[in-house]
Amino acid sequence: MVIIEIINKPIKSFLITNDANQNGAELVFNGRVRGTEKGKPIQYLEYEYYEGMAEAELKLLANKVCKKFTINHLYCRHRVGKVKAGEISIHIIILSKHRKEAIKAMDWFIIKLKKNVPIWKWAILNDGTKVPSDCIHPN
Amino acid sequence: MINIKVKCFSQVKYALGADELTFQLDENTTSVDLEKIIRKKAGKKLNNVSLRIAINKKYQKEEIVLQNGDEVVFIPPVQGG
Repeated sequence: MVIIEIINKPIKSFLITNDANQNGAELVFNGRVRGTEKGKPIQYLEYEYYEGMAEAELKLLANKVCKKFTINHLYCRHRVGKVKAGEISIHIIILSKHRKEAIKAMDWFIIKLKKNVPIWKWAILNDGTKVPSDCIHPN
Repeated sequence: MINIKVKCFSQVKYALGADELTFQLDENTTSVDLEKIIRKKAGKKLNNVSLRIAINKKYQKEEIVLQNGDEVVFIPPVQGG
């Protein structure tokens, strides 16, 4: 089973109830917002996404990962909008029979997500300036 | 003439100062032609930014002729996670 969600509110964990006795591994990844951007403190990050395409690309990747690795379930919630430092921006759970494929699948999924899913973040600096994350501001 | 909507995100939005732009273009205008227009409009702000193109919410690897009503996004490096 694949569940993909992009939400504009704090992330709560998925409740795993389906065929738990068939999955020896339940791997959970939470990505959190760091409090600095290129060494400068930030107030928060603001995630924007290309609605429609981001969900489609995320689902495509999730289905690919299920085929490429022998995993049984992948659940992913990605948060958009304002996310404060320390809060969770992405939550992923992968269930599989054994741990190795779950770990490989998780790494592959996150690498591809960071390459293909049209989601971006803006850093809001302490002085209120809003700049694309990783973009060197000329000033 | 054809009407094309360009949605802007991240560094493209930052460079162009707009969420969305509309263009009236000659028929037979291609995706590469439109990228040149966008880069020119941005001055030098997108010079070091690699852009992929999505047309109607799908990545498009090859140069194609744009169709009336297409929604185009020039996708700078993504940053999910």
